[in-house]
Amino acid sequence: MSLGAVDLRHSFPTESLLRKSPSESQDREAWLLELVSGEEHWRKWLEHPASELLHHDGICCAAARSWLLAYARSMEISTLGNCETRAPAWISQRWEWGPSPWPMAWCELVKRDVLDCGVFAVLAREIFRAQGISAHPAQALLHYEETCTQHWKQLWATDPRATFPWVGKRMVYHELCVLELPDGSARFYDSTWGQWYHPEPRAGHGAILALRSECPRLLKWGGKIFQHGDWVKL
Amino acid sequence: MTQKIFISGMHSGQNPASGLGIARCLRQAFPDLHLVGVDHWQGSTGLNAPVLDEAQLFPLWSQLDNNSHSRQVRDWLDEGHLWISATDLEVHWLNDHVGPHENLFAPTQHAVEETSKPRVQAVTELESMGFRVPEYIPANLPDGEIHRFLRHNAWQCWLKSPYHDAKRVTSWGVFERARAQLKQNWKTEKLFLQRTIFGHEETIAFASFQGELVDAAHLTKRQITPEGKTWAGSVQPLAEDLRRGLAQVMRDLKWNGGGEIEFIRDPDGVRWIIECNPRFPAWIFGGAISGINLPGKLMARALNREYRDTPARGAGFTRVVVEIPVQESIGLPWLSAQTATEWSIDGKKGKGGPSFGSFVPDLASQQDEAESEASEALLPPPDLPPPILWDDVRGLMRNFQEATPHRAPLEGWLKQRFRVLSEKAKKASPNSPKIRVGYSVKTSPTDFHLAQARESGFLAECISQAEVHRAIQTGFQKNEVILNGPGKFWPQDQEPVRGLHLVFADSFEEWETLITDPKGPMARGMGLRMRVPQVHSRFGNQLDDFENFDRIAKSLKKFPKTADLGFHFHMPSWAIGMRRWQEAFQSLLLWCQTLERVGGIPVRHLDLGGGHYPGDLPELDFPAIQEAVREALPSVVTLYFEPGRALTQDTEVLVSRVLDIRRAPDGSLREVVVDACVAELPLIHSHRHRTYYAARSAPPLGLPQTEVLEAGSVRILGRICMEDDILSPGVNLPDSVALGDCIVFGDAGGYERSMSYVFGRG
Repeated sequence: MSLGAVDLRHSFPTESLLRKSPSESQDREAWLLELVSGEEHWRKWLEHPASELLHHDGICCAAARSWLLAYARSMEISTLGNCETRAPAWISQRWEWGPSPWPMAWCELVKRDVLDCGVFAVLAREIFRAQGISAHPAQALLHYEETCTQHWKQLWATDPRATFPWVGKRMVYHELCVLELPDGSARFYDSTWGQWYHPEPRAGHGAILALRSECPRLLKWGGKIFQHGDWVKL
Repeated sequence: MTQKIFISGMHSGQNPASGLGIARCLRQAFPDLHLVGVDHWQGSTGLNAPVLDEAQLFPLWSQLDNNSHSRQVRDWLDEGHLWISATDLEVHWLNDHVGPHENLFAPTQHAVEETSKPRVQAVTELESMGFRVPEYIPANLPDGEIHRFLRHNAWQCWLKSPYHDAKRVTSWGVFERARAQLKQNWKTEKLFLQRTIFGHEETIAFASFQGELVDAAHLTKRQITPEGKTWAGSVQPLAEDLRRGLAQVMRDLKWNGGGEIEFIRDPDGVRWIIECNPRFPAWIFGGAISGINLPGKLMARALNREYRDTPARGAGFTRVVVEIPVQESIGLPWLSAQTATEWSIDGKKGKGGPSFGSFVPDLASQQDEAESEASEALLPPPDLPPPILWDDVRGLMRNFQEATPHRAPLEGWLKQRFRVLSEKAKKASPNSPKIRVGYSVKTSPTDFHLAQARESGFLAECISQAEVHRAIQTGFQKNEVILNGPGKFWPQDQEPVRGLHLVFADSFEEWETLITDPKGPMARGMGLRMRVPQVHSRFGNQLDDFENFDRIAKSLKKFPKTADLGFHFHMPSWAIGMRRWQEAFQSLLLWCQTLERVGGIPVRHLDLGGGHYPGDLPELDFPAIQEAVREALPSVVTLYFEPGRALTQDTEVLVSRVLDIRRAPDGSLREVVVDACVAELPLIHSHRHRTYYAARSAPPLGLPQTEVLEAGSVRILGRICMEDDILSPGVNLPDSVALGDCIVFGDAGGYERSMSYVFGRG
């Protein structure tokens, strides 16, 4: 484990790590910290709660949220034939991915053309929930080479209000949503790009290094068990 | 330091870039080179090719930071690495952001401009090269000029973008669609229209080092994919006259890198230029197979290394599809959640080649033969119409003496249609919300139909003041009229009728006028026609955009207290099917619910429009629809349906007589011409028409028989000189058919009546 001068046992006592038995917790801590070693913003990634939109508690946000859900319902009309699962893939076509100012309210998002993965994840979650599906926040650490990450850093630098340092050197923090199926299994959906994650090992550009579910119940996915708040190695 | 050769453009699909071909050429020429494949998309599968030593995957062009990327490329070039650009887009980008460099193999901005479409000036102005430019015009000329150009060229043209992409144009409609699409795709007005040249496609690939032609290869395409891409070809050294001209062009333009001139050789041998690409073609390794390794020769000059030609290994080259392992460092792109069938949507995918269709008839006939004996019992029963309709048809034809073509109502069946719907609505109406039917006047505004609607207790649904007056003249009260449509106040020379039952605004502007009318509400209920997202329609208020939605919601504050709020939508189950109609209905309920909550006004009237197929009308489950509305919008008091076509389409027939009978040389019946035509049946090609046959002369025993015609091989042609006047592509007309016999077209009511026109009668 190589994390410079930082004493992890004091500076990184996340709740989920401390909940485990000492040896289990240490094992988990070890791989996770090794994974993020060398990355400047690792602490922010691991501690960052899933993004949420503000609601002004007024008609502005109520109208925006209602419009989105009504729009989503229309977009679900037979887009996938007779399939029950209707992922809101349309949101990644309606909005472009890019830097977004935070905090963001519902009434602001509907006027924007560009959204980041945090907003995309919130939208998907809301839409899945409106479909009656149990949907929860999820986070991911993904691998990309510097040939990509340096460009994304510059892209984010164009908007001073987009402050969260999600881009690392060879790794990025990403938000998505996890669906809790009736049989206790999970499905991870990346609404930024309109893609389902598959549990088979994935290499190279965009490889999933770790995932974290905020579902309050245990979830199974590809032979892994996801406990609320735990980062799971993939 | 290991010197690296960066090669961009690793896409290796049906329309491949040339990067992989360049890499294979270089590997063949110099096995020790360190080759780096470069691309901006994980799905560019050439990145996985084992011929590469390394792969660099950059973000999509839209995510690229130009400053850092140009700095990086320049640093690599300054360090002595080489960069061979193999995509048009990147050549433009390099010129904009990096500029000329001795280690960069891409033509300069000046060279690109001098060889740009459609003139390809630097090449075509050299008479010695013998290239001609196909006639072209800018596509931003007035439409009249464009139409003239298309006519002049027999509607055989291409609409091209200045960068990439072209669409074949064969009609004005195709042109308008292609123009809109290319403008949108390429964000440019600089499109041009060029006449089609018929001939064989050839190309010249070339390599030039700092303005000196290194070598060139001449490809004749022998197999082409449906996308027009080379699949196989023969490659020859370039003829001396062309080589001399090309060498001069290269000198003039100081060309550094690869390139390609595409042209068509017409049957007279004339070479018509298509374009000049600023990079090697994707088939470039086909040249190396044929003994002309252009990238190898170019790098030999650039690296000052000895190069020896490899003898040709075949009489040409062809492509094959091979599978290779995916590199760990690249991985596979995810599948998009909604595009599981994207590949099939994308089309032909190189499935050109021998057609298997020619084998099918043999197979099919063998199968048919084997099955026919055993399966007679399985044959579908004749497609007999409902008994009442069938009785009406036979009754009509029993003593038919009218002049033809003759449109005749099937009164028994028509009354049945109205009666069944009326009873269905009455039966459901004790429940809440009440169900009312509005007869769509435009569908068939005959006295008979309007009287039938009135007697059935229906309202009149009108789309103009003229229709309102017509409805009132035939006995409807003003408060029995629903007014709808984009031209509801036409004609404007008279005061609009007020005191109507319902009026629906087709636009926000019309809505504002209605709700702020100083004379007060013009109808008991007023509402908006909604255009639900995903529904392709020109009508109603679009809800795709939050701003539109928001202004509607805010306008509800001005809604008059003396009127009831309503919403209308029209989703033709005719076109989209009942299942999708039901989903759209559910979606509409949510929109209404949303507007009700945001606007704070209860929705009282919900009009679900018409557009049902006659056969779907009985499938409308009124109690289920009522229940869904009750649950979502408890304030709704009345639910409206507006059938027109569904009530009337199959309640009329058009009787015609046979004018001409045409047989094949072997005597078999091929076609008949009848005295009806598309003017009387304007929608003949848009839906199924039952067809009947009645012989003129009575059979030996009894009255003439009317029979249902099933699908068969005898075409029915209309009487007018219009190419599309084909009334049936094939029916099983009996061989005994005689001149003067009657052919009866069913399903000839509704719009077939109201949209029919007079034609060819002098």
